[in-house]
Amino acid sequence: MRFMVLVKADKDSEAGKLPDQKILTEMGKFNEELAKAGVMLAGEGLQASSKGARVRFDGKKRTVIDGPFTESKELIAGFWMWQVKSKDEAIEWLMRAPFDQTEVEIRQVFELEDFGPAIPAETLKSEQRLREQMAAKKR
Amino acid sequence: MRFMMLMIPKGYEKAAPGTSEAKMVAAMMKYNESLQKAGVLLAVDGLHPPSIGVRVSFAGGKPKVTDGPFTEAKEVLGGYWMIQVKSKEEAIEWAKRCPASENEVIEVRQVQELSDFPPDVQKAAAGFSEMQLQSGQRRG
Repeated sequence: MRFMVLVKADKDSEAGKLPDQKILTEMGKFNEELAKAGVMLAGEGLQASSKGARVRFDGKKRTVIDGPFTESKELIAGFWMWQVKSKDEAIEWLMRAPFDQTEVEIRQVFELEDFGPAIPAETLKSEQRLREQMAAKKR
Repeated sequence: MRFMMLMIPKGYEKAAPGTSEAKMVAAMMKYNESLQKAGVLLAVDGLHPPSIGVRVSFAGGKPKVTDGPFTEAKEVLGGYWMIQVKSKEEAIEWAKRCPASENEVIEVRQVQELSDFPPDVQKAAAGFSEMQLQSGQRRG
């Protein structure tokens, strides 16, 4: 099963402030453990929302709003993508992360099999092809 | 440059377990293919609703687990795209082409590259790029 692990933004991440050296080093070690265990599929940090934008949709109309998004309590500062056997295993790993004062959300990723009969076969085939093409790019 | 396009569907914070965004997937398929054909698509995924998710808070370094749903959340992530483009403007152009409805907002965020960080941080993260290569992830 795949889980996306969403690290929530805080004042510091939104100010572009980096965690201190000790935490960075511990996080490096944690990432190494994840990689060695074959759990780590991806992990990235995101630039502060001041460097971002939002797009709103209304029929054919598009409105672009520049960051920062100070009113949002749900901004993301970074994420991991993990491959594990269960949600419990994802939680166990996350409990070991060297965070000091952060909130992190774990969300299960949709696999093709999860979509069920509601999705037409043609769409599933296209989706499958797309994933194969993306995987081929990585090699 | 790499950007994430974060899909924020209104009301997804209230979605029941097993909600599969069937209509969304079909609508997005052509859009995903156009991203792929243009050579910009690095990754795309949908997320099960937060009703079956979990939050872990680390106040004072002590982890505390809370099961979803998270009723106080006013917006939650429904899915994302990771794209490789030449500029933020190009990323925004791609976001505007998404066949989203007025119930959805797409947030465009730049991905941090190692080179964005000062040398001492790059050193602490040394080996991370190598790890990502080994785990098959494409670098920006």
